[in-house]
Formats: sequence, C-alpha cells, structure tokens
Amino acid sequence: MNATGPGPLGAPDPGTTRPGAAGLELTGLSKSFPAAAGERLVLDAVSLSCAPGSFTALIGPSGCGKSTLLRLVAGLERPSGGQIGIGGLSPDQMRTSGRLGIAFQDAALLPWRSVVDNVALPLEVLGKRQRGQDAHVQELVRLVGLSGYEKARPRQLSGGMRQRVAIARALVTRPDMLLLDEPFGALDQILRRAMNLELQRIWMADRPTTLLVTHGIDEAVFLADEVVVLGANPGRIVARIPIDLPRPRTPEMIYSVYFQTLQGQISRALEQGTGR
Amino acid sequence: MSWRASTHRALAGREWFWPLLLLMLWEIAGRYDLVAQGALPSPGEILTQFWHDRADYPPHLAVTARTATLGFLLGNLAAILAAAAFAVAPRLERLARGITITLFAIPPIALVPILVIALKGEAPRIALAAITVFFPTMVSTLLGLRTIDPRLSDVVHTYGGGALKLLLKVRLPSALPGMMAGLQVAAPGAVLGAILAEFGSGSRWGLGAYLLGSLGQANPARLWGIGLSATLMAGGAYALFALLGRRLNVDTAAVTLASNSAPDLIGTPGSNSLAGRLFWIAAAWIVGLAAWWLIIAWLNLSPIIAYGPQDVMRYLITGPRAAQNWQRLLPAFGETVPLAILGLFCGLAFALVLALICRLKPALGAMILPAALVTQTMPLVALTPLIVLLLGRTLAATLAITISVSFFPAFVVLTQGLAAVPASAREVVAVYGAGRFKTLLLIDLPASLPHLLTAARLGAPRALLGVMIAEWLATGYGLGNLLNRSRGMLDYGMIWSVALLSVLVAIALYQLFAAIEHLVLSRTG
Repeated sequence: MNATGPGPLGAPDPGTTRPGAAGLELTGLSKSFPAAAGERLVLDAVSLSCAPGSFTALIGPSGCGKSTLLRLVAGLERPSGGQIGIGGLSPDQMRTSGRLGIAFQDAALLPWRSVVDNVALPLEVLGKRQRGQDAHVQELVRLVGLSGYEKARPRQLSGGMRQRVAIARALVTRPDMLLLDEPFGALDQILRRAMNLELQRIWMADRPTTLLVTHGIDEAVFLADEVVVLGANPGRIVARIPIDLPRPRTPEMIYSVYFQTLQGQISRALEQGTGR
Repeated sequence: MSWRASTHRALAGREWFWPLLLLMLWEIAGRYDLVAQGALPSPGEILTQFWHDRADYPPHLAVTARTATLGFLLGNLAAILAAAAFAVAPRLERLARGITITLFAIPPIALVPILVIALKGEAPRIALAAITVFFPTMVSTLLGLRTIDPRLSDVVHTYGGGALKLLLKVRLPSALPGMMAGLQVAAPGAVLGAILAEFGSGSRWGLGAYLLGSLGQANPARLWGIGLSATLMAGGAYALFALLGRRLNVDTAAVTLASNSAPDLIGTPGSNSLAGRLFWIAAAWIVGLAAWWLIIAWLNLSPIIAYGPQDVMRYLITGPRAAQNWQRLLPAFGETVPLAILGLFCGLAFALVLALICRLKPALGAMILPAALVTQTMPLVALTPLIVLLLGRTLAATLAITISVSFFPAFVVLTQGLAAVPASAREVVAVYGAGRFKTLLLIDLPASLPHLLTAARLGAPRALLGVMIAEWLATGYGLGNLLNRSRGMLDYGMIWSVALLSVLVAIALYQLFAAIEHLVLSRTG
C-alpha cells in the first residue's frame, strides 16, 4: 500500500472496513521492568485480538500497564514474553514500513517546524517526502480543521490545535494501525468532547485499526467498538465490553440509557480491577 | 531510583578501565619522551618531582588557599547581599546592571595590573578572587530569589506580610539550592582569581608565584606538579560545596546551569517601551561610570596611576597622544579578538560534537562528564604553561587554551538542552524506524541550535580571557602582551584603556550572540 499517494480521505464511508487495515493479535503478552527487588511485572499474559479496521479502547487504573501495552505494540519496548502480530507482521516490520501511526498525550511537536513540516515528519523519517508533493499533507491539515495554520509554529497554537497536529501526523502515512496514548488527556472536558467527535470523523475517513489508551469512560464508550478494561498489579484484562452503537455516533447518544448502562458496566469492572 | 542504581553498578567496572588505560599510556609516553621532546612528563616523573619539592609546597599552598578563601568569603558576602537587595528592589538591579555585566564580562587578567597599582600586599589577590566569585553567586542566588511559586507570595500577602517577610520566609529558603550551586561554581573561580593575581603582583609566595618562578627552569615535571596541585585545590573546593549542598539536602542538579545563567535572564522591571529601555540602559552606563569614578576618588590614589573615566577619555580621545595610543591598541585588538572568536567557535563545535556523541552513547557521556569537570576546575593559568610546553609558543597553543576554556560551559549547556528534549519527540520518529543517526539529524541537531547560541554568548568573555592569558604568558602578541608590556613601561593609561576596551569587546560579543539567539528563538519558538 502506497503511503504517500493522495488517498480518498474526503468523504466518510460508514460501515466499511478498509481492506488494507491490519488486525492486531496479542498472545500471552508479558512485560516486566527491573525493580528494587528483582523485577516488577507490569503486564501479565495479556491476550487480545482486534479485527482489522476496529477501534479498541484500553481503560484501567494508573499503573495497569495500558501505556506499556501501547508502547509494546509500537515497538518502543520489547516484550518479556508473548507475541505481537499486526496483520501477520511484527511491530518493527510495521513501523519501518510506515504502517504504524502514534500520538501521545503531550503533542510532542518539534517547535522549530511549521504545522505542515511537523505533520510531514514521519514521511521524512521514512524517506518518502518529496518536494512539492505535500498535497496529501495539506489535505490532512485541512481534515483536522487547521486550514490557514499550515505555516504556523506550534507555540502559536492552542493545546487543542497542537493535539490536532499530532493526530494529523499520526495519520500522514495512512497507517494500518493507529496508536493513541491519551491524546486528549491534557485538554478540558468540553474541548475533549469536541475533539472526540473530530477524531471519529477523521478515523471514519480511513478506518485504520485503532488502539486508544484513555482515562475517560465516556470517551472510551463514545469512540470504541470494544472497551478493554485492565486491572492493575500486574496489568491484566478484567473485562471486554463490546459497544454496540451505530456510527457515526452523535453527542446525543451520550444521554441514552444504553450509553449510561455501558458506562456503569465499565465503572464496575474498573472497581473489580483495582480492589483485588 | 533503583533503575539508576542498577545502571550505575553495571557501569562501575568500565568506569575504571579507560582512565587506567589512559594513565598507562601517559606513563609510557612520558617515560620515553614520546610527546613534544619530553614536554609531557610521565605521572611517575611528576610524582617523583613532587616528592622532591615537598618542602616547597606548604607555604605556596597556604598563601594561595588563604587569599582564595578570603576573596571567596568577601565576594560571596557581597554577592548574596547584592542579590537580596536586587530581589527586594528590582529597579536597583536595573541600575546596577552596568556594574554586574562588567563583572561578568571583564577578563580578570585585565584587572590584575590595575589592582596591583591600586591596592597593596595581599589585597589585590583577595580582590581578584572576590571579583571572580561575585557574578556566579549573585546571579544564581538572584534567580533563586526571583523564581518562587507565585501562590506562595499570595499566601504571605494574604496574611499581611510585606516584601521583607516574603524575603525571609519564602525567597531565602527557596533560593538556597541556587545559592549552593553558585557557591559550588564560584569556589574554583576563587582559586583561579587568586593565582591569576599572584602572576602580576610580584608576590613571593603562592602557587602562581611558584609557577612563574619555575617557568624558565626547563623542568616540565615541576610545572605539571604545580598545575595539578592547583587543580586539586580548585577541584577540592568544588567538591566541598557539592558535598555541602548534598548534605543540606539541596538539589544541585542544575549546578552548572546556574552559573551559566545570563544577565538578561533577570527580568526587566518597569517600562518595556523603547524609550523606557533606552532610559534604563543609559542609567546603567551612568551608574557604572560613576562607580568607577567614585572608587578612584575613594581610594585617593595618585592621578598618575589611577585613571578615572575622564582620564581614559583624555588618553584615548581628547589628549595630544591619543592617535599614537590607538596605533598600539588597534593592532593588538586585531590580533586578539579574531583569535578569541575562532577559539570560541572551535570550542563550541567540539562541545556540540561531543554532546551529540554522548547522546548516541550515554555510557560514554557518563565517563566524559567527570573528565570535562576536571578541565573546568583546572585553573586556567596553571594550564597555560603546560599547553605551551606541549605545543610551543604558537597559535595552536593559544587556540588550545581558548578551546579548553570555552568547551566545558558549552558542553554542559548543550547536554542539558538535549536532555530537555521530551522523550516523546524522539519516540515519534522512532516509531517510523528512525535510527540513532536520523534522530540526531531530525531532533537533536535542530534542538541544540538555541543552546549553542546561549553557549556562545556565555563563552565569549571566557574565550577572550583565554587568548589574553596565552598572550601574556606565552606568545607575546595581542592585548595580553600589550597589557604585560605596558606594566613594565609604567604606561598606566594603556593598562586602563586595555581593561576598558576588553570589557567593551566582551559585552559587544555577548550582545551580538544574545541578539542572534533572540532572533532564532523568536522565529522558531
């Protein structure tokens, strides 16, 4: 799949999964870090499979290893045990071919680069950016609602706008797998809701398989096809809750009984996960 | 915490390997006179010579230690009082800026002949030690006093406390870490100041006098012994305050940053309009000149040796011999300033390369940093004869000295700057398979540009000092030589002129780099 081509990003196409998107397969995934006394087990034999083009939210108390899990999938950490397969490929094969996108809680933009140049950074790393071939990048900037800010520097942008740039950057290679580590964690509640709507719209345009780490129960329910609840010490899956809401989801749905019931289920699962 | 401890244990073996290997190579090279026809004695030869000279050292060490300590105490007392006064009355700081920037920018060597003229006995050495320590302590204390949690000042004000209560209850305690960091950096500076003044003062005792007396004896091992003792003394003073800071449970992580803090980090109170700024700049100049004039008047010295601002103006501009004086001054400047800039750039480039290598190989950084610290505490004057022995009285020697003085501060600024780049920025490129080299190119290199300019700004006065010391002691060119010759010819006007102009050049270089830095930061954020 050609990452640089100006893809059909414009019109949302609900209900179809992208043929190129890769499914995620975790089997018996463990991770431990060296600690004062021996080793500390952060993730204990986590097995999970996500269908191609699905949106999965990981939620859990602090220290349950949800960010570590994401970093393992991104190839930023090595697992202590178990397997990670993304459409049959390893994380390293995925990332070096530009099929992985990632966004962090802090936007992690390079202050000396303009919005467009920040978004195009992954293409440069992959050696796929060509002069005067930024139409695709420009279109992404437009898609995340930053038209007119192409030349702006990060410090001239608000927190929400910086996060949009980070998401555009994560999407620039048209990844098969999108990893989001609390991308709106630093934003206030109102802005967060707005950004969730935006994220849904952007995601539906291309439908990469997505893993979202979050603290927000409503965010998880609103965005995901499935919410995976992790428990802490060591991190393990305590519940998997499918979210059977039609797309595109609307803000009104938040007030539906079904939505509230799901939130309640997740809350209870979270309590189970913390109080052993 | 535990993670660090385990890494530390793992490194412990390797940490000893390279220094030991280096020491062995040095021993072999020295033993068989492999370097510069025996100018590099072996560690064994240095120790033998040291043992042979053991009776000579105590009086020299005692004198240098005493003057350095007295200067350290006086200079820091003045620095802390000044910082407290500046914290309470920001306008006072603005007015005194002419004086503080002069103290930051002045090459101490330019002050030596003046102090020797103006003061008697040990006083010039104590004064120079005090002047060298003043700026680092003052700035790091003032920064500590200024940067307090604004909510804390709200709390004190809520209960009716005024500026003084705030100073005592909040500012002083929170300034303690900065102050300790400043003292730590100032301590080796005091030793440097004392030794530097011994060179020009004609005193019989002190490590500087011993070094000067040994210069012509063709005994490299003795010069090395003296240089290493001076380094040990300065390093010991540094370590003492590092330990003291740790004992007081004070975080000294940003130790070197504090001393590198620039005068303009201290905010500007009052009007920021152009007219307002010009007013304060003019005021600072006037106060600086007035202070010069007042000190001369107060010391009640003979007008033949003590030049006030008006006397220097007559010497350089209005007097009948002004043109001839310039004819000697200008070529000297032409020799010194380009060398200082060249040395500064080489030092910066060297520091950048090393900082980036340390970024690639953190274990290497853990080994280099202590070594760099040693070159930093090594008193410059003690270093000069050694470098001259190795490289001869050449341009290369001057450059080597200049690089060695501008390298370390730049290295620290760059290392800290690179450490401040958020990990997620590196991870973003790592996700796309960027290797170490690509990360360096895309993230670390552009991130270090503003720090490089900061380092240039802070290093400019040091580079000038390095070149002048080399010229004074070794090469016989430029401003350092002019200063030394004018001393012999009792040309006091020239001594004062060189001091004044070298301060102005240092400030001009500083402002130039500050302007470029400002430009870069305003364009890239």
